[in-house]
Amino acid sequence: MASLAATFGRGAMTNGWTDVVNADVILVMGGNPAENHPVGFRFVMEARRRRKAKLVSIDPRFNRTAAVSDCYVPMRAGTDIAFLGGLIHYALENKLYHADYIKLHTNASFLVKEGFGFENGHFSGWNAEKKTYDRSTWQYESDGQGFAKVDPTLEHPRCVFQLMRKHYERYTPEAVANIAGCSAGEFNRAAAIICSTGRPDKSGTILYALGWTQHSHAVQLIHTAAMLQLLLGNVGVPGGGVNAQRGHANIKGSTDMGSWNNLPGYLRLPRANHTSLDEFLKANTPKPLRPNSMNYWSNTPKFMTSLLKAYYGRHAARKNGFGYHNLPKIGESDNNSWGFFFDRMHKGSIEGFLSFGMNPVANGPNTPKMLDALSKLKWMIVVENFETETAAFWNAKKLGEKYYSSFIDPAGIQTEVFLLPAACFAEKDGAFVNSSRWLQWKSAAVPPPGEAKPDQEIIARLFLKVRELYEKEGGKAPQPLLQMSWDYANPLSPSLEEVAREVNGRDLAGKQLNGFGELKDDGSTACGNWIYCGSWPEAGNMMARRGQEDPTGLGLFPNYAWSWPANRRILYNRAASDAGGKGWDPQRTSIRWDGVRWTGDTPDYKADAKPSDFGAFIMLPEGVAKLFAADLLEGPFPEHYEPAESPVPNPLHKEVSSNPLASVFQGALDKLGSAKDYPYVAITYRLTEHFHYWTKHMHASGELQSNFFVEVPEELAREKGIKGGDFVRVTSARGSVEGPALVTRRIRPLKVEGKTIYQIGIPIHWGFVGRVRGPLVNNLTPSVYDPNSGTPEYKGFLVNLEKV
Amino acid sequence: MIETVAKLVDTTLCIGCKACEVACQEWNDQEFTTGVFRNTYQTLPDLAPNFWNLIKFSEHDINGEQHWLMAKYQCMHCADAGCIKACPAPGAIVRRPNGIVDFVHENCIGCGYCITGCPFDVPRLSPKTRKVYKCTLCSDRVAAGLEPACIKTCPTNCLTFGSRNDLKFLAEKRAEELRKDGLANAGVYDGPGVGGTNVLYVLKHADRPQDYGLPKDPRIPWTVSLWKGPLKWLGNTVFFGGLLAALVHYIKVGPKEAHDEAEN
Amino acid sequence: MKQRIERFTSTERIAHWMVALSFLYSALTGLALWSHRMFWLAAVFGGGETVRGWHPIGGIVFALLLAFIFRNWAAQMKLDADDRRWLAVSHKYAMNQEEGVPAAGRFNAGQKMLFWLQSSSALLLFASGLVLWFPEWMPRGLRLAAVLLHPVAAVASIGGIIVHIYMTTLVVPGALRAMARGWVTPRWAASHHAKWYRDLDRR
Repeated sequence: MASLAATFGRGAMTNGWTDVVNADVILVMGGNPAENHPVGFRFVMEARRRRKAKLVSIDPRFNRTAAVSDCYVPMRAGTDIAFLGGLIHYALENKLYHADYIKLHTNASFLVKEGFGFENGHFSGWNAEKKTYDRSTWQYESDGQGFAKVDPTLEHPRCVFQLMRKHYERYTPEAVANIAGCSAGEFNRAAAIICSTGRPDKSGTILYALGWTQHSHAVQLIHTAAMLQLLLGNVGVPGGGVNAQRGHANIKGSTDMGSWNNLPGYLRLPRANHTSLDEFLKANTPKPLRPNSMNYWSNTPKFMTSLLKAYYGRHAARKNGFGYHNLPKIGESDNNSWGFFFDRMHKGSIEGFLSFGMNPVANGPNTPKMLDALSKLKWMIVVENFETETAAFWNAKKLGEKYYSSFIDPAGIQTEVFLLPAACFAEKDGAFVNSSRWLQWKSAAVPPPGEAKPDQEIIARLFLKVRELYEKEGGKAPQPLLQMSWDYANPLSPSLEEVAREVNGRDLAGKQLNGFGELKDDGSTACGNWIYCGSWPEAGNMMARRGQEDPTGLGLFPNYAWSWPANRRILYNRAASDAGGKGWDPQRTSIRWDGVRWTGDTPDYKADAKPSDFGAFIMLPEGVAKLFAADLLEGPFPEHYEPAESPVPNPLHKEVSSNPLASVFQGALDKLGSAKDYPYVAITYRLTEHFHYWTKHMHASGELQSNFFVEVPEELAREKGIKGGDFVRVTSARGSVEGPALVTRRIRPLKVEGKTIYQIGIPIHWGFVGRVRGPLVNNLTPSVYDPNSGTPEYKGFLVNLEKV
Repeated sequence: MIETVAKLVDTTLCIGCKACEVACQEWNDQEFTTGVFRNTYQTLPDLAPNFWNLIKFSEHDINGEQHWLMAKYQCMHCADAGCIKACPAPGAIVRRPNGIVDFVHENCIGCGYCITGCPFDVPRLSPKTRKVYKCTLCSDRVAAGLEPACIKTCPTNCLTFGSRNDLKFLAEKRAEELRKDGLANAGVYDGPGVGGTNVLYVLKHADRPQDYGLPKDPRIPWTVSLWKGPLKWLGNTVFFGGLLAALVHYIKVGPKEAHDEAEN
Repeated sequence: MKQRIERFTSTERIAHWMVALSFLYSALTGLALWSHRMFWLAAVFGGGETVRGWHPIGGIVFALLLAFIFRNWAAQMKLDADDRRWLAVSHKYAMNQEEGVPAAGRFNAGQKMLFWLQSSSALLLFASGLVLWFPEWMPRGLRLAAVLLHPVAAVASIGGIIVHIYMTTLVVPGALRAMARGWVTPRWAASHHAKWYRDLDRR
């Protein structure tokens, strides 16, 4: 998500599931939608049936998506940037890119400051001591008025286009094959299909999921994909885009509403140096970089003020910065992402932990470290449908002894665990936000069983109790709680309809707002999440709509549920048209300029502004999409870096093998292994039969896949004398797991730098509690994270394999 | 006239998600069990008395290309149904007016002949109830105007329910499209050897249905046909002819009397 | 004078009648499954499921008892030269002509043929019956063979028994009594089993 925000302006799937039917080519990479998004995958199948779309699958495994694809290419886990960089090279070399598109809608023409360069694995500005970049040379050359200089001919040697060409010169098909392990022929075959969409009358989409996000260079990886799509003119176009498939029913909603990385609506977290609202706004309200940039984030003060007003109600006023001081601040350079948070817990600096719909023992990397971290807590509250591995972590040794050798002894654990039974999704109403950014309201199907309570009631009861204690006993900082607005009909269990209306926002008179255009920075509007503004206007709950009309015929379904932002179905839809407002492919544009206004989908543009008035990417200060993204930590152009644990040193630059900025910890439990001891590449993944670590509690999924297994390539199995069903032990520097081997031809051995590389596949889903049980795969995975997003590297780590 | 219903399985759209398996289990209120690992993604090695809809996963190299084929397997509801032919219990297996071949369990005596009679080897004898079970094409749902549970749940439109004539048309059209798209061997599988089945398959490789776990040329086994045809006539002739012959013999020839000279 | 010759020992007779009963049960329950038109027989024997459950058990009893009889009689059932000649002119025997029909031993060639027919069809019924009894454990090839062999053997067996019953009840008066009570008159023996009678006489 972080990457798409940097490239396009919003961290979200650009198009949507239903739009995939418009694609001519569907590239599935870093995802396996046939298995993990089978319902969304119907649109892929529809595209294939209706318009004979070509499906290309690039994956370490010949999975169920590959089984129905037109072209499958195997690859080594963690080499996606090399592959995509190769595609960029292929498109540039063979002139398959959409030249008019990139001139108009990207920063290809922007000039970069003198001094920018890339050498031996590092970009300019590398500080070897601090292990950070000084990014000053990565900036645009200024014209003196704060705007970037451009060369519309794209010929200036320092323009983004030429720099990009130079950067990817090294990514020839042969180089890609040598890194990724496929053959150059296979690469070329896929490249020809994918790059065929560079023509204005073709569009291609990319579907990806955790196979891209779970790398130590994930954000760079996704930026590479975004660059490719921009080059091919596939962004903003129906049937195009870079489409992130989210892993949980409402993970999109949780990101939108704010997690450790942001406040609701992707507003940045206040940091310690932002001591007042004004300072916060100054730091987080960007200035336009081109004269025609709409720079929509210049409205940040309206969004932030309305959010504070929603939080603190009558306590939020101009004179107290609308209660800004009540917000917790993180340190100037603090990282609160998962890895850092649990590292701090592991070091003993966290006292209590509220685990809400989250099972860190199962889904966090490096289980031994995770267990150790929880054992350092004084107390932990787990809110769940079932007793999870996290709730039972203190008993892991006993429950898991069948699967692991060394877990911590419960005798030494002092953590007090409270397990609160929570209602499951079918037992409560509210909205799910899907990958397509659709907010879909649902009703409760059945009441929660026994003492289970809906989440909001659990939160409300905790909140009210803590506030009562503050009122009675005082404390260090009672104000944030005492000033929190809590005006619900039933304070102990606010109805989700009330909360949804509050999130949408209202004015002082209590009138529901129609959209974020009505938000003000003077405290006259309150809005819980500006991007959701419009989901519940005076007219009622838009999320509950189920209209199936499709006036454009493009599968936009504007009256079905409600899509953020502003019910816009395809983001950046202005980019589907040329400078004059005419669609690159007149048959395939979701908005049309009729001379007065834009019609069709909600325009991602000012509805009555002329095509020439603004750039198409209104959320970015550039006004155009970024091929060159200086806000990414490792460099403005993605470079292939090996995973933290790699079977070979980086063939491009051996000295700087893996991501120099990856978050790697140095504790006793944060071990990394080398290819000498752990010669095989492992990947973990999900199966269609299960959902994460939840369905192992369920009868049906328990029948469909009852057993944990390890997928072993046939050739490796032969070498080791392993037959299908034989028990094997997989060991990494962190720990080991044991289970039956599934000997398969679906994971091919690969040739990398002349060496045969075997990959081993390990599905997740099992654990030491539940109806069907097995080892926790994360016993193997490293605690290494992407520096931008904080996502752990589950794909491509090193293991050894033995027959038991 | 009631139209013959059918389901169409377009295997080119099957992603092996097993939603149909779960829907079948849920709707038919089957008990869920846990399985043993067998070096495959396939849920069970074969159909079972409490598992009527199984996606078969098979791997083949066809023209040098790796294929992982998935096709759901269940009762085919044949026009000329081997199970009905083989069944000795009147009313235990019936053909509904809409073409559904249905087992009526109160009439089933559990002999298992239908298992042998079925060219697709579909029915399964439950050791618990000593009755035979198989897909009913959700005859209960269909009777109420609903589509079968597997069709309802299929996420990729791989499964379609409707009148057999319509589906046959759609299937042929789809196969034609696939052939135009360069898949020369695409075709429809509907078991002409059993008078046509009410489950139609579109196969990319219709020339090799056995790769999908479907019999190449399904026919009612000749031993069953011989038994239920000529042998039955022969037997009846022997039984009734024998009685008749005895009667005629008795009247015309009569008993053998013991004769006196032997006493000497 | 009313002289009695023992034709069948009590063991033989008990065995025969037990075989006969178990055969009758197996045959009738089997016939219930032969044709839908004969399914009413299933009702007579307690319904379809009962028939399905007990027919194989009846069959097992039949087969075991027959095996017992087989052990006792097999040696006596070997065909000799006279028997072969007998068979060649069996049409004469059937038409009650005595000219040229060789004298019979304890069992005439027809009876011996029946013995072998029943023994072999019983073996076939037993083997194929086992397959049909547990279809869920049997390979398909075996089941396919069994569904054909079982009725073929049954037809042969029942056909033979029809002739047997007809002969022993209506064609050869005294035969039924021989199997029921065990004795025949010398006159009967001399008429129907002259060679046997002569051998007895000699002894």
